[in-house]
Amino acid sequence: MSVSSPTANHSTGVSDSGRWSTKRIAVYALFVALTIVLSFVEFPILPGVQWLKYDPSGIVALVAGFAYGPAAAAIVSVLGFVPHVFTDPWGAAMAILVSLALSLPAALVYKRNRTRKGAVIGIVVGAVVAIVAAIGGNLIVSPFYFNMPVSAVLPMIVPILLPFNIIKMAIHGVITFLVYKPVSNLLDKRA
Amino acid sequence: MTAAMTASAPDSDPVAVRLRDVRFRYHDVASWVLDGVDLTIRHGEYVCIVGPNGSGKSTLALIMAGLAAPDSGTVTLLGSRVFDDERGADPDAYRAARHGIGMVFQNPEDQIVTTVLADDVAFGPENLGMARPDIVRHVDAALDAVDMADHATDDPTSMSGGQQQRTAIAGMLAMNPRLLILDEPTAMLDEAARADIMRILDELHARGTTIVHITHSPDEARRGTRIVELNRGRIRADEAGDGGADRRRPFPAVLGEDAAGVEGTPAFPGVRDPSTPLRSAQDDGEQRPMHSAQDDGRQPPAHSVQDGGSQSPVIAIRGLSFAYSPGRPVLSGFDLDVRAGETVALIGRNGAGKSTLARLICALGRPQAGSVTVCGVDVAHASKRERKALRRRVGYVMQHPERQLFADTVREDVAYGPRNQELDEDEVNRRVDEALELLGIAHLADRSPFDLSGGQQRLAAIAGVIACRPDVLVMDEPTASLDVAAAARIRGLVRTLHDRGVTIVLITHARGELTLADRVVDLSHGSGMARTDAGASIADASRGSASPADASHADVPGARSRGDAKSVHRTDAMSRMDPRVKMTLTLLLMFSAFAIGSVWQLLAGAVLVTAAIAAARISPLRLLGTVHPFLALFAVTGAVNMFFVRTGTPVWTIGPVTITDDGLWTMAIYILRFAMVILLGAVFLERTTPTQMTDAFEALLSPLARVGVHTHELSLVMSLALRFIPTLTGEARAIADAQAARGGDIETGSLMQRARAMGAIVVPVFAGTLRHADNLSRALDARCYEGGAGRTHYRVMAVGARDVAAMLVTACYLAALVALAFVR
Repeated sequence: MSVSSPTANHSTGVSDSGRWSTKRIAVYALFVALTIVLSFVEFPILPGVQWLKYDPSGIVALVAGFAYGPAAAAIVSVLGFVPHVFTDPWGAAMAILVSLALSLPAALVYKRNRTRKGAVIGIVVGAVVAIVAAIGGNLIVSPFYFNMPVSAVLPMIVPILLPFNIIKMAIHGVITFLVYKPVSNLLDKRA
Repeated sequence: MTAAMTASAPDSDPVAVRLRDVRFRYHDVASWVLDGVDLTIRHGEYVCIVGPNGSGKSTLALIMAGLAAPDSGTVTLLGSRVFDDERGADPDAYRAARHGIGMVFQNPEDQIVTTVLADDVAFGPENLGMARPDIVRHVDAALDAVDMADHATDDPTSMSGGQQQRTAIAGMLAMNPRLLILDEPTAMLDEAARADIMRILDELHARGTTIVHITHSPDEARRGTRIVELNRGRIRADEAGDGGADRRRPFPAVLGEDAAGVEGTPAFPGVRDPSTPLRSAQDDGEQRPMHSAQDDGRQPPAHSVQDGGSQSPVIAIRGLSFAYSPGRPVLSGFDLDVRAGETVALIGRNGAGKSTLARLICALGRPQAGSVTVCGVDVAHASKRERKALRRRVGYVMQHPERQLFADTVREDVAYGPRNQELDEDEVNRRVDEALELLGIAHLADRSPFDLSGGQQRLAAIAGVIACRPDVLVMDEPTASLDVAAAARIRGLVRTLHDRGVTIVLITHARGELTLADRVVDLSHGSGMARTDAGASIADASRGSASPADASHADVPGARSRGDAKSVHRTDAMSRMDPRVKMTLTLLLMFSAFAIGSVWQLLAGAVLVTAAIAAARISPLRLLGTVHPFLALFAVTGAVNMFFVRTGTPVWTIGPVTITDDGLWTMAIYILRFAMVILLGAVFLERTTPTQMTDAFEALLSPLARVGVHTHELSLVMSLALRFIPTLTGEARAIADAQAARGGDIETGSLMQRARAMGAIVVPVFAGTLRHADNLSRALDARCYEGGAGRTHYRVMAVGARDVAAMLVTACYLAALVALAFVR
C-alpha cells in the first residue's frame, strides 16, 4: 500500500496532480512525531561508554520505509532529528546519516521483494550500511565534536564503535521484524 | 474562491444535502455500512442523527461533509452534484462543496494543527486563500462565537477537551460554512463542557447555520428541529424534534427503544432505573468531602468475603501528595481507605487527580509525599520485585484500554497477562476463556482485535485485565464514549466481580454508575488542586492521565514550547525577531562555535552568549536548569577526552595514565564550546514558538521548491509533528503503564521475552499513531487544505531593525573569531 495513491475506495479525489494528499501529510507527520518522541528515549547500552546511546527511533524510519517506500524513510529520518539540531548539532547530523543509511537500503530492498525474506535481507543490508556510515561519520565528526584527532578515534573502532553499532542495529532489526507484520495488517485495514 | 463569497452567495436551492440511495462499505467487509440511504436536509434545519454504534452514523457524516465518497448512489452537496453512479466522484465539485461545509469530529485533539489558538483557527481561512484582513476578521469573530477570544495566544494542545472542541468549532466557523456537521462532538467531554457546546450550537442555528449533529445522547438529540434515526445502515425513523422549544417533553419513540433495550441499567446518566437496587443509599448529588473517606461508617452490603478483612484496608492512602509540576499539585494531603471487597467510586472534575491516584494504586508511579499501601505493600518504598508481585494482584483498566490491544487475535491478547505470570498453558487457556465469557465476547476470540467495533475492543481489552484475576481492580472511566449496550456489559462485569469479592476502585463521570458503588469519594473538593479548566477528559486520556506539563519530560521540545505558549505576549527582543533571521543566525553561531580554539576566541564567544541571554531576558539560572543534563554529560565525556591526549607536557602521572597540559586544554575547550552551543540552542528554543520555527523552516527550505521539493508540505509535516509530540508521548507512556500492569517487563527476562514485551508496547503505539494520522487527514480535508499553492498567510514575517542589528552583531563576532585565530 502506498499513500501516494489515495485509497481506491471512497476517495473524493485529488483534483490536481503533483501535490501530496492530506493522508500522506498526516501519516508522515505522525511518523516524524513518533521518531522525535522515541529519539528522546535514549540509554547507554555499552557499560562505561556514556556518550553512545541507544534510542529506538530508527525503528520508525524502518517501518515507514517498509510501509510507504524510500521517500518516507528519508523524510522520517531527516525531519525526525531536526529538533536535535538545536541541542546537539553534530549528534543530529550523525543520527540523520545513520538513520538514512539504515532505512533507505532496507526500504529499497523491500520494495523489490515484499516478503518476509525481503524484509530480513533489507534489514541486514541496511544494518551493514548503517554500521559503516556510523563509524565513518564518527571519524569525520570527532575532530569537531571531541576536539580529538582521527588518530585518537581509530583505536576506539573495534572495542567501542563496532560493538555498539552492532548491538544497536540488532535491537532495531529484531523489534522491526516482530512488529512489522501486525503494523502492516493495520495499514491494510485502513485502506 | 473565498469563503466570504461562498457564504454570501444567494442560494436559490433550499437544499443543503441530498442523498439518493447511498450505499457504502469497506472493501474487506461484506456487509453494507450504509445500505440505501435517502436523505434531504434543507438550509436552516438542525438535524440530529442518532442510532447505535455501527449503524453508519459517522460514515453518513463523512459523506455529507464531502470527505468520503460512497460506493453508489447520488450525492448533492450545497447544490453541486459531487457523486453519481455514472461519473463517480467529481474531485473539483467535492473541493468546491467542502469550502462551504464545516465538520467537527469526536476526538477534539486530532483536529488541532498548531500550537497557538489564533493560528490554528486561521488555518482554514489561509487554505481558502482569504486576504489577510479578512482572515483576521474571521478569526476574531469565530473565537468570539465560541467564547475563546481571551485565549487567542494560548496553546490549544494543552487545553481541556471542552476548550479543544470549541477551538475545533471556531476553526470551522472561521471558514464561514453554510453547513456544519458534528460527529459526536461531546462524546469525550464532561457535563459542563457539553452544555457549552450545546449552547453554541443553538446560537449558530439561530444565526442561520444549517446543523447536522450526530449524537448518542437523547438530551442532545432533542435540541434539533428534526431527529433521524439510523439502524444498520438504513434510516429507520425521521421525525420532528423539539428544536429547543420544550426540552421536558417525553422522549421520542425512536430513541426510547434503544435505551430500553438494555438489561436493568440506567441508560442515561442521571436516570436511575428502579429495577437496579441501590447498594448504598448515597444520593447522586451528594458530594462527600474527600477526607471523610475513612470515617464513612456505613457497612458495605453483606459479603462473605470482606467481613474478616474489614479491619485492615486493602488500599490505605495517607497524606498523599502528587504534582506533575512544582506548585501545581493534583493531589495534596489525600487520605483514603478501601476495604476488601468494597467498590468505591471516585468522582470529581477533570484534573482533580483521579487518574493520577489510579496509577499510584497500581504501583505505576511513586507518591511524592505521604504513603500508598496496597495489599500490604508500601508503593513508595517497594522494591522492583515487590512492585512486580503487587501488579499481579492489582488490575488496571486505563482510560481507553482498547488502545493497549496489540496481538493478532483477541485470545492472544487476553492471554498476555496470564502468560506473563508464567502459568502453564492449560491454566492460561482456562483464564482466557473465563475472561472472554465474563465479558460476553467468547465468539470474538479468534478475530483480530483491530477488526472489532470500538465497544468490542473495549470489552476485549478489559478481558485482558480480568484474565490476570486481580484481587483489586482499578478502572479509569471504563464506559466513557461507549454505546449503551457495551456500557451495560461493563456495569454487569463490575457487579459480578463485586459479588466475587474483588475490591474495585471505579473512576467515573457517569452518574448512573454511582449505583454500582458502596461508597462515593469526590476528589473535587479541598486539597488545593486549582486547575483552570474542567473537562479535560481527552487530554487526560491521551497524556496518560498526566498533567500536561510533566516535569520529567521537560527536555522534549514540544513539552517545553507548550509551557511557553502559555506565557502570553512576551516582549523581549529575542522573541520579537523575525524567525527566519533568528534561526539562520542561531545555526551559524552554533556551528561556528566548533571553530573556537583559543582563549580569546572563547572569551568572544562567552560575551556573545551572555548578550544573547540578556536580549532574550531569560534568567541564566533557569537556562542552566534546562541544559544541565547536557552539561553534566559534556563534563564526563570531556574528562574521558583528557586521557586520550598524549601530546604536550605531562602535568600528572598516575600509574600508567599521563595527563598532559594539552589534554587539560582539550577538555576545557571541549566542555566550554559545547556549553556555548547548547546555550545558544536553548535560548532559541525558549524564545521561538513551534509555529515560528515551522515558518522559518519553510522559508529556509523555499529555494529547494524550485527543484521540485515539496517544501511547503515538508514544513507542514514538521509543524504537525511538533504538535503531536505531547500527544504521542502521553499515549506511549499510558500504553507502557498498562502493559506493565499486566506483567509485561522490558527490563528483565530472556531476550525474547523482552523483545515480546517491547512489541506489546510498540504495536499499540503504532496503531495509535495511525489512528491519529487518519483523524488528522480528515481534519485537514475538512479545513480545505489543498496544498501550499493557493494559501495566504495570517501572520506576516518582516525583517526589522532588530533583525538587522542582530545580523550586524553576528557578522562582527564572526569577523572577530577569524581575526583572533591569528592572535596567540
